[in-house]
Order: sequence, then structure tokens, then C-alpha cells
Amino acid sequence: MTHTDAQSTPTRVDTAFGTFHVAARDIIAFPSGMPGFEQCRRFVLLSSDELAPFQCLQSVEGPAASFLVIDPRRALPDYRCSLSDVDRLRLGGGEDDALLWASIVTVQADQTLVNLRAPVVINPALMVGYQLMPSNSLYPLRFELTRVF
Amino acid sequence: MLVFTRRRNEAIIVADGIEIRVLRVSRDAVRLGVTAPADVPVHRQEIYEQIREENCRAAQPVSSLSDALSRVRVARGTGES
Repeated sequence: MTHTDAQSTPTRVDTAFGTFHVAARDIIAFPSGMPGFEQCRRFVLLSSDELAPFQCLQSVEGPAASFLVIDPRRALPDYRCSLSDVDRLRLGGGEDDALLWASIVTVQADQTLVNLRAPVVINPALMVGYQLMPSNSLYPLRFELTRVF
Repeated sequence: MLVFTRRRNEAIIVADGIEIRVLRVSRDAVRLGVTAPADVPVHRQEIYEQIREENCRAAQPVSSLSDALSRVRVARGTGES
């Protein structure tokens, strides 16, 4: 661990889902931002009982960006998205099993959609993440979420 | 915009270490090979745009968590279908 805890006074993060306090070690670097939010380079993944089974991926830098996310395997239990060597390199290597997966959820007036094609992947050991953009994914960009596993 | 004429097997170099090479030319398509460092994202534009649009839609300020929660049914055990 090379983190200095000197600046780790909890940062207050206000979201549509409530106020959270996050420490410096909770911040996940997104070196290339996310499509449409390229200026957002630091995010936190927020969990609470009220949010479950969802979580909130919230930017703490750049324009406010707040996404409701869910583990894609809770939308489709047999979900399997393979990483390329480039993906692994961007995530800093390590075991695939240790990665966190978060699919972005879009809540519309009449349905809830999950982006299974371009999931966010986070390496919790290095606190680095990015949104996969596979060009040949079999999974839909807009999967209607009706049940959670 | 910089405009180049390239023949098959010719390339252009962008910044340090990014090479874009013309591999094949047919009537209305060009096959390109991109060599770039692993930390340089390279995507087909339309795929990037689709994901960007979906992200922007998802990031709308939502107070509708309860809608999302009320719509999903949590499957318990394996008995349900």
C-alpha cells in the first residue's frame, strides 16, 4: 500500500440516492473517463441497503455523473464477457476472478434497461476501472431488467 | 482536417507509436490496421457513439430508484422461472 492517509478526510458526496462519505482509498480511477463523460476520471461505487440490488457509480471529479449500476450476473446469471489482453492491461493485470463488474442501468418511465454490452469493469486491487467496448459482444446494449438473481 | 492519399500497405503515423495502415481497398470499403499502445483506446465510431448515447441517457438525474426497484422481482432460490 503506497497510499498516504494524510488526505483521507472523508469527502462528502451528494447523490440522488442520498449523501455518502467516501475516503481517498474508495476512489476509483477511470483514466479515460467513460464515453460521454470523458472528463470524469474519478468515481466511487456506492452501496446501501436502500440501493440494493443496485449500486451507484458516482463521479467525484469533473461534471457530475451518477449512474445506477448492477452486476450483470444479477441480470443474467450466465453472463460471461471475455476480456481482451488490452482490457487486462488497462485494468492493471491480475486475476479476472477478482474484478468487479457493473452494468449501467437506465431507468425509463415504463422500463428499466441494463447495458450488458459495455459493462464497467473495476480492478479493486488497483482501484482502476473502465468501460469495456467490445465490438462483437452478443449481449444487448438495452436489456430489459424484470428480475434480479 | 488533414487529408492524405494512401495506397495499399501505406500508413500514417499519429503521435508516438500509433500507426494506421491501409490493408485492403475495395469498391466502398477500406480495411485498416491500427497499431497503438495498449492505453490508447481505439473503437469503431458508431459503437462508441451508441455507448455514449446510452451513458448520457442513463446519467439523467433520477429520482426514480423506487420505480426501478418496484419493477424488478428478486428471484430467490432456483424454484422460480
